[in-house]
Amino acid sequence: MKRRIPESVFLGREPLSKDHMNKVLVLGGDRLGREVTKRLEREGYDVILAEDSAECCEPREPGRAPVSMLSRVRGFVGGFTASFATPDGDRTERVGYVIAAQPARVSARHSRYGLTRTDRTPSLSDFEALLKTPERLPVRRQEWLHVAFLLGLEQESNPVVFSRVLWCIENLCSIRNTQPYVFTRHIKVAGAGLEERYRNCREKGALFFKFDGSGPVVVEEQDGPRLQFVEPMLGMEMELIPDLLIVDEDLEPPELTPLLEAVPTAILSEPFLQPDSPRFPGVETPKAGILAVGPARGVFDPDVVASDIESVVAALKKDRYWLDKAAPEVDPSKCTLCLTCIRLCPHGAITFRDAAEIDPDSCVRCGICAAECPMQAITFSSAEDVNIIEMIRDGVACMNTSPTIVAFLCSRSGAQAHEAWGHSLSPAFLTIVVRCAGTVDLSHILAAFRHGADAVLVGGCFRGNCASVYGNVLGEQRVEHARQYLTQAGIDASLVKFVSLAGNTPLRLLESLEELYAACRARG
Amino acid sequence: MTPVQKQTMHTDVLILGGGIAGLQSAVELSRMGLDSVVVERAPFPGGHVAHFACKATDRCQRCGACVLEDILQHVKSSSAVRVQVRTDVERIDRSAHGFSVSVFQRPLRIIPDICSECGKCEEVCPMPGALIRSPLDQALSIDESRCSFFRDRSCKACSEVCPEGAVDLHTGGEEIDLTARATIVAAGFKPFDASEKARFGHGIVPGVVTSLELDAVLRDGAGTCWPNGKEPRSIAFIQCVGSRDAAIGRNYCSRVCCANALRMAKLLKNRIQGLEVTLFYMDLQNFDRDYDKRIKEAEQEVALVRSIPAEIRKGQDRPVEIIYHGRNEERVTQAVDLVVLSIGMSPPSIDFLQGLVVGSEGFVGEEGQGVHTNMDGVFVAGAARGPKSIEESLADAVRAAGEASSYLRKDIGGGSQ
Repeated sequence: MKRRIPESVFLGREPLSKDHMNKVLVLGGDRLGREVTKRLEREGYDVILAEDSAECCEPREPGRAPVSMLSRVRGFVGGFTASFATPDGDRTERVGYVIAAQPARVSARHSRYGLTRTDRTPSLSDFEALLKTPERLPVRRQEWLHVAFLLGLEQESNPVVFSRVLWCIENLCSIRNTQPYVFTRHIKVAGAGLEERYRNCREKGALFFKFDGSGPVVVEEQDGPRLQFVEPMLGMEMELIPDLLIVDEDLEPPELTPLLEAVPTAILSEPFLQPDSPRFPGVETPKAGILAVGPARGVFDPDVVASDIESVVAALKKDRYWLDKAAPEVDPSKCTLCLTCIRLCPHGAITFRDAAEIDPDSCVRCGICAAECPMQAITFSSAEDVNIIEMIRDGVACMNTSPTIVAFLCSRSGAQAHEAWGHSLSPAFLTIVVRCAGTVDLSHILAAFRHGADAVLVGGCFRGNCASVYGNVLGEQRVEHARQYLTQAGIDASLVKFVSLAGNTPLRLLESLEELYAACRARG
Repeated sequence: MTPVQKQTMHTDVLILGGGIAGLQSAVELSRMGLDSVVVERAPFPGGHVAHFACKATDRCQRCGACVLEDILQHVKSSSAVRVQVRTDVERIDRSAHGFSVSVFQRPLRIIPDICSECGKCEEVCPMPGALIRSPLDQALSIDESRCSFFRDRSCKACSEVCPEGAVDLHTGGEEIDLTARATIVAAGFKPFDASEKARFGHGIVPGVVTSLELDAVLRDGAGTCWPNGKEPRSIAFIQCVGSRDAAIGRNYCSRVCCANALRMAKLLKNRIQGLEVTLFYMDLQNFDRDYDKRIKEAEQEVALVRSIPAEIRKGQDRPVEIIYHGRNEERVTQAVDLVVLSIGMSPPSIDFLQGLVVGSEGFVGEEGQGVHTNMDGVFVAGAARGPKSIEESLADAVRAAGEASSYLRKDIGGGSQ
């Protein structure tokens, strides 16, 4: 995939407007897109459904927008500008939300097996269509019709595709004198009812060959495909010349380029809009107002896709009130428009006019911008953020312990771990809860030492688990920076450390703090 | 004992079960302006996930267990969610306004607002397991079934030693009459009882543990399950214990065990240098978005044996011996230090909701019905309607909360016309 710079967000200079909160753009004219549209219309949203999938196979509902390709999205939740290319020329729409609900891209795996797609070697989709008109099944060479399936041999299959293969076999079993064979590695039964259907198919005579190492060798000959293999249970060499050899398919996320450009962290997660992280369990992406449903987020199981539709409704309602604390503020007299904050904001929440401007609905208050601003132009105004440095000063002053250790703990991991076991901590620790490890900057760490701390610990989420995608990485980098700084100043750098934590790793926090404590004691 | 007290309560939605599905449903409902009462039998909320260990090595393995701590924070900060722990549902009846429910809250025994968690009671308690700590915040409570006071009044050492007077052995429970307009069943799953498969030696052979037991031990950090107290050099996971087993009526895949075992294997290999891991399995199920990559990685890191062992018994040199049939039906014996049985999910028992239909596998609801049940106003979320991962349970909770909210709005709309 070509490398892109998501400039449409950064240099958009999009004015912040919230006048389209009720308007939603749904991408995907297939069944899923229509279901999302119907559901949102029931909630009173004004929905534009754009059919932008070239592979869209179901008939279009009359009265819907014509097939149009989304070319660009810029702006912020409540006021996106979406540009389309339509057969009648370009057009733009102002919408509050953009929802990717396109169908999966389905591609047959013939090339993986060195096969070409013919009547004798159809894809799974071809064969499903064929089974709907069984009179078109090929004339059998012998009395029996032998149908073989290649499934997940080169690349793992999944329960959705396996369910379709079972449907084919169930249909074949109702046709007299047919023998289905399945060549696979791992049977994917992790879906509702699949184990039972698999068992029934076996009982009806379908043969499943499960290979550990190399699967069958497929030779395409004049009279059709020929499969040579070592039977995995018996270890015997065998050969099969099936009347039909059905080739399985890949399910891939739809083409999402314009949206990938609008979500700044997508450069780390493409072809998906969301990072592969438990912090993004539903349809939301790091960019407020851009949501991914089903295939667009790698989910194909129809039951989970159905949940996704409901999650869209929840997410749309949530955006308006979930943020209880004020967003950071930019002091225009200090801002030099260096764009550092815009480049580093994982949520694409910042734009600029005469100075950087933060969209309070897109901002999750992680504090990365405030920590990174070289001019200290960005500050939080809410009470607990006003001055971490004051908290350090006052906190350390009234501790009177030796040693004294300051622990900055991320509210989503370290602070939760601390809550679980905090009671057993010695009074030598001053814990300061921060929204994200990415908030802790060099000045905080140095302030701790200046006010008398003997050691500093920064506890953030494990890599791949940060709700601001890379706030933890930035926090760790700043700790590294502080260590170099201290070494230059002649202070033992091992007295500053970064620890990866989760809410359910209280003992790891305890151990790390005790280690630091012991190191301080050893120094005397 | 002080007599049982009585209380009445009204709420929009009654949620049966305080695991992640129930708690997340409550949080979502509160966001829609609806309040809920979560009824949980255990002394603390969180369900099974409260005992799960973080599987991160140097980076997150996406098991999702840490999400519980986030959800609990939302629950605590929301005035619309009330969590009733140590509470049993006695009966649910339909009433004119929805449901009329009687629940019984067993007394808390250790009053959380007074207790300083100093642990003096734990030092004097003679009965192992009678004093339990919540894995979430270490809050103490008493398991009455193990405490000798509740057997024969022979000991009240904890109450005598407590400097705060937080131990209360005498209060009776509280009966609560609750009315709710809708119900979400989020009763989760029952872990498969490994003793049903006696040939795997759980409870007989030292060094055979269940996946849930291993998780809990790793969360608490102690190495108590290592046989002979020694760190294992070799571990075997046995998959599909109580899953994909028609002979015992479990004709389904539990969907999370392959992911859990392989993540656990990665975690343990990261912690224990040179650890050998073998996985006995039927078919590897997908996990993560990059499942093809995950499974290929697993094939490199773990010795995979496509066979479910015939027997697990006490070993000679090593603590445990596994006997299985190899590829050519030959009998193979493998000696290991620790065996982990990947136990499946069994359906929960819900006997207080008369008329609720369960599917062929015993889980609540019917195929194709999603979070709806056969009963009007009763929804189901999470593993109660079939084996689910943490992520899937969360998605389900959002869906059930959404459906319940639509149902209640329809209800109001209907009433006003």
